[in-house]
Amino acid sequence: MKVWSKIFTVLIMLFLFAPILILLVFSFNGSNSLSVFSEPSLFWYRELFKDSETLGSLRNTLILALSASVISTVLGTAAAVGINSLRNKFLKTAIDTTTNIPMVNPDIITGISLMLMFVFVGRLFGASSSLNFGTMLIAHITFCLPYVILQVIPKLKQMDKALPEAAMDLGCTPVGAFFKVVLPDIMPGVITGLLMAFTLSLDDFVISYFTVGNDFQTLPIRIYNMTKKTVTPKMYALATIIFFAILILLIFTNLSDEESDSTANARRAQRKSRRVENRRVISPKVYLSAAAAVLVVVIVLIAALGTGRDTLTLNVYNWGEYISDGSEDSLDTISAFEDWYLEEYGQKVKVNYTTFSSNEDMYSKIKSGAVSFDVIVPSDYMIARMKDEGLLLPLDFDNIPNYEYIDESFKDLYYDESNEYTVPYTYGVIGIIYNANKVDEADVTGWDVLWNEKYSGQILQFNNPRDAFGVAQYKLGLDVNDTDPVLWDRAFDELLAQRPLVKSYVMDEVYNMMESGEADIAVYYAGDYFTMLDAEAEDVDLRFYTPEFTNYFIDAMCIPSCCENKELAEIFINWMLSEEPAVANAEYICYACPNSIVYNSEEYIEDMGEEAIEVLYPGVENFSELYNRTAYKNLDQDALAYMNTLWENLKVN
Amino acid sequence: MKKIIELKNVSKAFDGETVLDNINLDIYDNEFLTLLGPSGCGKTTTLRLIGGFETPDQGDVIFMGEKINDVPPHKRNVNTVFQRYALFPHLNVFDNVAFPLKERGLPKAEIEEKVNEMLSLVALSSFAKRSVTKLSGGQQQRVAIARALVGQPKVLLLDEPLAALDLKLRKDMQQELKKIQKATGITFVFVTHDQEEALSMSDTVVVMSEGKIQQIGTPIDIYNEPENAFVADFIGESNILDGVMLEDYKVRFSGRTFKCVDFGFEKKESVDVVIRPEDVDIVPEQEDLLSGVVTSVTFMGVNYEIIVDIKGFKWMIQTTDFVDVDEHISLKIDPDAIHVMHKSEYSGLYGDYSSFSNEFDELEEIDESEDGE
Amino acid sequence: MTRKMQKWLLAPYSVWAFLFMIVPLIFVAYYALTDNDYNFTFENIRKFFVTTSSVTNDAGQVSEVHTYILIFLRSLKLAVISTIVCLLLGYPMAYIISQSSPRAQKIFITVIMIPMWMNFLIRTYAWMTILQDTGILNGFLGLLSLRPVHIIGTEGAVVIGMVYDYIPYMIMPIYSVLAKLDPKLTEAARDLGCNSVGVFKRVVLPLSLSGVVSGITMVLIPSISTFYISQKLGNGKFYLIGDAIEGQYVANNLHFAAAIALILMIILLAGMAVMQHFADIERKLEA
Repeated sequence: MKVWSKIFTVLIMLFLFAPILILLVFSFNGSNSLSVFSEPSLFWYRELFKDSETLGSLRNTLILALSASVISTVLGTAAAVGINSLRNKFLKTAIDTTTNIPMVNPDIITGISLMLMFVFVGRLFGASSSLNFGTMLIAHITFCLPYVILQVIPKLKQMDKALPEAAMDLGCTPVGAFFKVVLPDIMPGVITGLLMAFTLSLDDFVISYFTVGNDFQTLPIRIYNMTKKTVTPKMYALATIIFFAILILLIFTNLSDEESDSTANARRAQRKSRRVENRRVISPKVYLSAAAAVLVVVIVLIAALGTGRDTLTLNVYNWGEYISDGSEDSLDTISAFEDWYLEEYGQKVKVNYTTFSSNEDMYSKIKSGAVSFDVIVPSDYMIARMKDEGLLLPLDFDNIPNYEYIDESFKDLYYDESNEYTVPYTYGVIGIIYNANKVDEADVTGWDVLWNEKYSGQILQFNNPRDAFGVAQYKLGLDVNDTDPVLWDRAFDELLAQRPLVKSYVMDEVYNMMESGEADIAVYYAGDYFTMLDAEAEDVDLRFYTPEFTNYFIDAMCIPSCCENKELAEIFINWMLSEEPAVANAEYICYACPNSIVYNSEEYIEDMGEEAIEVLYPGVENFSELYNRTAYKNLDQDALAYMNTLWENLKVN
Repeated sequence: MKKIIELKNVSKAFDGETVLDNINLDIYDNEFLTLLGPSGCGKTTTLRLIGGFETPDQGDVIFMGEKINDVPPHKRNVNTVFQRYALFPHLNVFDNVAFPLKERGLPKAEIEEKVNEMLSLVALSSFAKRSVTKLSGGQQQRVAIARALVGQPKVLLLDEPLAALDLKLRKDMQQELKKIQKATGITFVFVTHDQEEALSMSDTVVVMSEGKIQQIGTPIDIYNEPENAFVADFIGESNILDGVMLEDYKVRFSGRTFKCVDFGFEKKESVDVVIRPEDVDIVPEQEDLLSGVVTSVTFMGVNYEIIVDIKGFKWMIQTTDFVDVDEHISLKIDPDAIHVMHKSEYSGLYGDYSSFSNEFDELEEIDESEDGE
Repeated sequence: MTRKMQKWLLAPYSVWAFLFMIVPLIFVAYYALTDNDYNFTFENIRKFFVTTSSVTNDAGQVSEVHTYILIFLRSLKLAVISTIVCLLLGYPMAYIISQSSPRAQKIFITVIMIPMWMNFLIRTYAWMTILQDTGILNGFLGLLSLRPVHIIGTEGAVVIGMVYDYIPYMIMPIYSVLAKLDPKLTEAARDLGCNSVGVFKRVVLPLSLSGVVSGITMVLIPSISTFYISQKLGNGKFYLIGDAIEGQYVANNLHFAAAIALILMIILLAGMAVMQHFADIERKLEA
């Protein structure tokens, strides 16, 4: 029995720590892969400390977790004392039931319900942005509260009711009795509650996802929004650092806990030995001062976060991993802009840079009025949709003189025919990425290879409806923008036929799977192919193929109608077109750039390499004609709904 | 003697249930007063009213001539020793005792001096730095007393402080408490359900039942001259019989007329007659005496406790003479063994041993240690 | 503190709970029962129950199914499996912990808590690395010259992800009940003639039932509504109710997302009530 339980324990621990071991190991990986280990290196740790956005979101996460846990602990402890003193049965039941709500409700419902309320109330008061740090904090406090209360109430119940009376009897005021006697007695419960609240808040993704605003992005949100681009080992490095920090912290608190625990186990200890008797019991003052210190830190951090009155704020909303962020000695675009602006205009500007994971994600945030942004970077079809719905503002090109560098091919396009609303940021093509060691190049002649049964179980398809249907439509030679349901049904049948062959529907997972040889054929964006090349495993030889009939997309900078400082937004857009940031971003993102400064830059051509330039800039004759013919356009509501229904059908299968 | 505390027409109810019903009580300086009664009789509530943990619904609590109904506990010059001591588990012995002094903001040196003095009074000087959770029950008890006394209150309230101790320790602590009371000269108000404890320690005993005071008196008065059937039964063992006071010094019960020492009743007044078990002599069956048959005999060490059935009423008699079950005997009762009381609401409820067993007594005691409000 | 003051302490929480726990649920119902122009409608609810899609099974037969009901049942199935696995692994673990020395108990609990401090998205990502066909696990099996296993993209992978993420929520409540169990009770049971199995079945298990119930609740609820684990470890092939809600949210169909949420909530609350009821009955029977 004893042996079995030991083996069992070891297995469970192995299970719990296997992934942590993995990310620990891979954080020291020299290459950009999360699945292929090349050589040990501290590269990603250096990268991490250069990445101000990630560190910023880590700081945000900590601020949020600290404030949420401290506030919910104070509020919850007070509530527990109140609940414990209730004699009215009905009231007690009502409060208990309410307290249970966030615990028995899935967090997705807690998140959605709070979001709906915040947005509704925000609209009612005409707020430009209903979601912000405050709403997220409220959400976190709300789901932490029950855990605190449930930790404190048992301690209050266990406490000798006469203790506070004794204190008052001996000259304490009622309030004094609470702080001098009751609080120290229930302190273990309060501390556990605080720790639990902190843990829950730190780890929460779902509720944050629904209530996150434009000014305060946390780590989980940042990671989630990397879904179009890859999650880098940088995150593993961060996780590893957090792991060791917590380990040290826990060892530390555990040691001090043990001392106070000796009080709780006093009776047992008394019987066992008399030697420990004189050991010092840690005083509740230590706990109290620790809590106070935490509170001070939170206040200072929040104060530091708050921007001064003379500081301008610019809220930028972009795809995850879609801007040069200072890693690998690149330009830290956001802080460079802040510096440049200060120098140029003599005024401070604070850029709140937050990310989204898909056009639709971004659209629903803006459409619902949940958050306001000054600069957004949607894709073409979404631009058309937002323009039609009046969600975009026309730009004042007097403020954007650098617009002249944009290649003429990228003007007068369908989504912005008179060039009023957009400044192209990147463009690209969807193509087929394949492992030449596994896939016969003779088979790679077009989209058919994604339906080739020879490669059954080795094929990766898009995990978003528009792109996935697009692939089928291009294969069938259909117009991707025709709303005739019959044609969509044909595309659907094609995808259904493909489904058994598909290994996985992917977004960011495509990197891992292709780099490691886990899958052999994928359909993805050309620019991302180069990111994979850098990290491919030894026995993997990735190639890129551009089918004749495929999707060209353009992501462009726009100003949404909720913008609060349009001129500043335009200055930002203009600056983004200037040489240094434009080249840095093009190199970082690896997508093609419509900015002539960039593609004529020798430095850029040299850095990217010839093969890349060839793939990225295929030199299409008459690009705008081809683009207007093949690009995604905005589908009307019915067609979108139909597409989503079909997509769910495909997923249900 | 000086009155220190007066309760005047005090009533208190919890959730519509009357707990104290028009209580009047005077407590004098330097007195050891015990509130005695079964659980739920209101004794603890009375104590809490004096301590300031409850406010009376009606009537006044007066402390040294001043009405203190609404004065909170921390402003009353009264301290309490709680039933389970209520020592602060996060403080050591010294800090527990120093607590009230620190509240008053006394200088450190003075605190130290007073605490040490107190600790030596309760013989705990060498335990000052020890955690209170590591003390035995008796030691905790003494810390609680020291803590309550260190602030030199006018009155010390003790809420069943000995209930959690085992028998031997309880006896020792009774002695010690009495000694401390004498030494400090502080008024003690002591709550207990243990009649023996009450009789052996107190100057004054207040017997309570169902929210009312049944009798106030010295231990001897209470035992020898109980005022009603409840007191007679609760204090010691009693055979309580229905009787009629024929005239002064003459009472009739059990179909016979007896001489007694009581007087001042109305002629032919129905009364309760109390006869203590130890005041009866057993003699061989005689025509002119009360006679009956022995139904059980229990050896108690000092004596035998026998139950005698006399005309359907079961008497309890304590005797050193051995008799056998089923033996026919007679009872010899002297006039001064008979105590006559007016009829009360308790008449007929107590004093018959037909369903008596030692076990019941013990069960009752367990219940009482749970004594609530 | 006087009772009056204590009651005042409850005031801020009461206001908070009302505003942020109760009112939001009213908003879910409100959105669920209105259309895009906030006119009252049952359409969203109806849509949940009547939407159908054709499904092809392995044999190539096509059948019509109710889309959302199927999605819900699939989520329920995976959640129930995960919960059972969590219980089967978590209960013995909790028992082992509760039987160890106080010091070891503390260490165990800390160790089990540690993974929760690392971002769960990252942890799930790490599982991809382990489970994929060319992953660590198969590499390890290869070293032992064993046949590689295909896990990623199967229900198994999703279950592993859920069990991994939620097993601490099973261990904790069961452990805290077991730890409080008076050892005299098991001694008494043994004294009265129970063998080890009997002691466990007739004393330990019934007395730890409250922990088991809250453990089940704490695992079932999040696992039924997850949407990240299924995306990452299910190769995007397992579309669960959480994915449906998130999908509708992203597609900006807030009203339908609210409707799905409302229905899910009602089903779960009903389920909880039934489970609580049975747990109560069982407890009474055991008593």
